[in-house]
Amino acid sequence: MKTQLSDLLLNDRGFAFDPVRGETYQLNTTGLVLVKMLQTGMTEAQILEAMQEKYEVDENTARRDLEGFFDELETIGWKA
Amino acid sequence: MNQEPLRIAVSGLHRGDNPQPGASIIRSIRRSYPNAFIVGLVYDALESGIYVEGGPDVVYTMPYPSAGADLYLQRLEEIHALSPFDYFLPTLDAEIELLVYVEDRLTKNGWKTFLPEMESLHRRAKNHLESLVKACELKVPLTEAVYDTATAVQAAREFGYPVMVKGQYYDAKKVFNDHELIAAMNKLLAEWGAPAIIQECISGGEFNAMGIGDGLGGIIGLCCIRKTIISEKGKGSGAITIHDSALQAMCEKLIAALKWRGPFEVEVMLDEADQKYSLIEINPRFPAWVDFPAQFGVNFASALIRIMIDDNISIKLPPCPAGHFYVRHQIEVLGHINQLAELATSADFSSNKKQLI
Repeated sequence: MKTQLSDLLLNDRGFAFDPVRGETYQLNTTGLVLVKMLQTGMTEAQILEAMQEKYEVDENTARRDLEGFFDELETIGWKA
Repeated sequence: MNQEPLRIAVSGLHRGDNPQPGASIIRSIRRSYPNAFIVGLVYDALESGIYVEGGPDVVYTMPYPSAGADLYLQRLEEIHALSPFDYFLPTLDAEIELLVYVEDRLTKNGWKTFLPEMESLHRRAKNHLESLVKACELKVPLTEAVYDTATAVQAAREFGYPVMVKGQYYDAKKVFNDHELIAAMNKLLAEWGAPAIIQECISGGEFNAMGIGDGLGGIIGLCCIRKTIISEKGKGSGAITIHDSALQAMCEKLIAALKWRGPFEVEVMLDEADQKYSLIEINPRFPAWVDFPAQFGVNFASALIRIMIDDNISIKLPPCPAGHFYVRHQIEVLGHINQLAELATSADFSSNKKQLI
């Protein structure tokens, strides 16, 4: 029973409502940016590139952070 | 065109720690039929819904269903002679248990109802849930109907503490040892009679689904919620609408298997261990929060009235969008000792005239 990221109700301050489980979450700034990127259908490679540019980090750092983020999505029960 | 107002009898008007659905049903009906003439049926002169603004037009006291069908129907006939009604919405489990046996007598008197078949009602009883759930390939916590405390203790030890102990109609308590179980059993058996139900405790979120079954296996409307605030009695003092295809499919399976006719409330828990819904119980009536979806345009009580007016089960309510929530709000409702005195001594009063009859 996973919730599609596209079904999440989000506001600009990172308040997220999961309509399948009825739970609410507060995303941090980076989490909100990444969820929005995934909601627009960006690929993992495109997100990595965007992260390097936005946060001025190298590819390895961006990849590690993104993998950590995907692990958290898995734990919460959200899927892209 | 000057149309006669609908005349509808509704029971279960108390709101409090353990709120009944009747007062909410009346609110929902008045949203669509503001001129409806509502006959309130109560068991106690202090049922709060008697005194609420926009509540019933007249109120009559009733004998408890445990007094038997003859006495119950005789009182309904007396009330009907004083304040005629065409539709009857019983809202309490014990009433429905009684009325399914005498539905033909209700019909003969010209009172329309929309009640489940006797067999459907029995198949969803707490002590028969396991076989229903097996037939639907769903999950249910380990459950045993018990008639005495010794068997209750034995069942609880087999399941492992904590367990839930429940009355056959209402009330549930989580108990952690033999001592607590025995105390809870004594209270439940005295209050609701045997059997009581011992049920394995499931850890996880609590979800409910309200709907109306068409009697042929279909669902006329469904509203799914997750409880966000749970009272000491396990009631949802707050909840939010959700849209989960798994919960919806589970309800469709159950209602199809039961060929359920009339309002229902399915109570489930999402088991943390396997992330699957486990069926806790199916109530044969609307829940106390029935007026909540009516406030965003999905009016279940009015749909039920429409079904009865037109004899038409092809009505479909729109889906309930996710993200609407309610928080239960208690207020003080004003009454006067004269109203109480009248109701206590003559067993009826008219609230629309603002004086007692």
